[in-house]
Amino acid sequence: MRTWGGQRGVVARTAGATLLALEQLPGVLGTALLALGVLVLLLVAGLTSVVGVGLLAVPAVLRGVHAVADRERARLGRWGPELLSPGPPPERLRDAVAAPATRRELHWLAGHGTGVLLLAAIGVLLPVYAVRDLSFPAWWWLLPEGEPTDSLTFWVVEDWGDLYPVVLLGVGWTALIVVLVPHIARFVQGRGQRLLDTAPTADLSLRVAQLTATRAAALDAHAAELHRIERALHDGTQNRLVAVTVLLGAARRAAGRDPAAAEEILERAQSAAEQALAELRSVARGILPPVLADRGLAGALTGLAVSSAVPCTVDVDVDVPVRCAASVEATAYFLVAEALTNASRHSGAGRVAVSVRSRDGRLCVRVTDDGRGGATEGGGSGLVGIRRRVAAHDGTMTLSSPPGGPTTLTAELPCGS
Amino acid sequence: MRIVIAEDDALLREGLALLLRAEGLDVVATAGTPAEFLTALDDHRPDVAIVDVRMPPTHTDEGIVAAVEARRRRPDLAVLVLSAYVEQSFATELLAGGAARLGYLLKERVGRVAEFLGALHRVAGGGTAIDPEVVAQLFARTRHDERLDRLSPREREVLALMAEGLGNTAIGERLVVTDGAVHKHIRSIFAKLDLPPDDAADRRVTAVLRYLDDVRSRA
Repeated sequence: MRTWGGQRGVVARTAGATLLALEQLPGVLGTALLALGVLVLLLVAGLTSVVGVGLLAVPAVLRGVHAVADRERARLGRWGPELLSPGPPPERLRDAVAAPATRRELHWLAGHGTGVLLLAAIGVLLPVYAVRDLSFPAWWWLLPEGEPTDSLTFWVVEDWGDLYPVVLLGVGWTALIVVLVPHIARFVQGRGQRLLDTAPTADLSLRVAQLTATRAAALDAHAAELHRIERALHDGTQNRLVAVTVLLGAARRAAGRDPAAAEEILERAQSAAEQALAELRSVARGILPPVLADRGLAGALTGLAVSSAVPCTVDVDVDVPVRCAASVEATAYFLVAEALTNASRHSGAGRVAVSVRSRDGRLCVRVTDDGRGGATEGGGSGLVGIRRRVAAHDGTMTLSSPPGGPTTLTAELPCGS
Repeated sequence: MRIVIAEDDALLREGLALLLRAEGLDVVATAGTPAEFLTALDDHRPDVAIVDVRMPPTHTDEGIVAAVEARRRRPDLAVLVLSAYVEQSFATELLAGGAARLGYLLKERVGRVAEFLGALHRVAGGGTAIDPEVVAQLFARTRHDERLDRLSPREREVLALMAEGLGNTAIGERLVVTDGAVHKHIRSIFAKLDLPPDDAADRRVTAVLRYLDDVRSRA
């Protein structure tokens, strides 16, 4: 009984492994075909590089290599441990070629687009042949006279007796599947994991490099922000106040000589003082909008929508008790404010939709308008500053604005605390 | 006295011009940028230039650079620099070419019209006007110097006013003492600081600033 049970276990395990491998192979075939395509492009680019033109295309092709490798990483991740992507290759060709990650991807690509493609094709064809030949007795007679042959077209089947070799061939295919396919799958998996996973140390240094960069950006953004505030105070507010003292001084001197002139100068002094107050308010608001503290992000954004020149809907779905760090909320607020300003100034939009979601400790903000599109970050747009603010919080911002619209500005910010 | 004002803030520029014209002074031109200022210098041949430190394009020290350039082109030009805040390096940079016909004041001093006009006339007349805040900072940084500790409180006051660029009579008026008393204090100060006495106002300031600067750099 135990032997029998053991044999059943072996059969079940073999069948399970084979089926699992069979399931993987179409995916392998897919990425292998892509790899072959990129490989051809790479060869063309490489050959034309000799005369110069191809050099221009090489960075793009390398990005293609990386994209295919990422696809394979995602596929491998579904069947085994997750593989971390090293990020896109560096912009400069020399750096990209020198990067170990790129070299490993190229090594992987060379095998994946050729040998692995062949193995995957065999792995996919074997079951097709097996099913065809094993089921042949059931439908051979439907084929026209002289047509019915086995999958290898060795001979023409004329009557039932001729069917045995075909069925035997089917059994042979099945045996081949059981023996070969799990090996193919395992080989492809192992090779991918070896060549496409970033080494643990590489991963760590990658992360450190990334953190260093964002931290530097954060410090830059912080310094830029402080500089902006300092300038606003010194060149704006303080100048207004100096003007007040100058005009008051002038008024006092004039009071004795010419009271009417003094009155007029006092009037100007007062309006300068009012300007100073207005500028002080705008500086304070630029640091942290009071409305955020009073009414929270949802309330503050609704306030923006109400005062927007373009009709605007706001949809905030954030866990109310979980509030983000004040600076993160302020960044989201300024982003929406900037997007609304741009929409009303440049886009000619009839509607704007703002949506805010919180997901896994990240705040996702999206502003879409139905305007004419074509928005860019340059040309004095405040988006450059917003992008810096977003980057300072380790967040990402994307602007999509094809000609003809719509314009969508999205940002994802870690909530922080 | 022909005056040019270089100040990028329009309201402040007009306010200054209004104040000076009301006092019967001849404001011949106003400028909003360093380039405009240097052009006005050639076009209007002013005697005095009032220059803001922070001007376009970067709003850092363009005014100082323009003032130094103006003095290079016209060594006889009196320059009164107005600053939003006290920055020692600005004063040092300006004073590098000598303290004669030079003023460095915080902007808000303009509101004290009588004192401001006094400083303006002093500078135009070949003297010096240094903001009390600048002087106070210099004193604060040189507190450890024992030679300064030798000064009596009154002598300190007199030294501070000297450092601002005031003459003996003006110091006497400020402290409500006679000219003779001021003279006595100054002789005493120079003795205690090991400086040879000198009557020319700008040289006194130069001496004071150089002395303080020297102490500061050794500290």
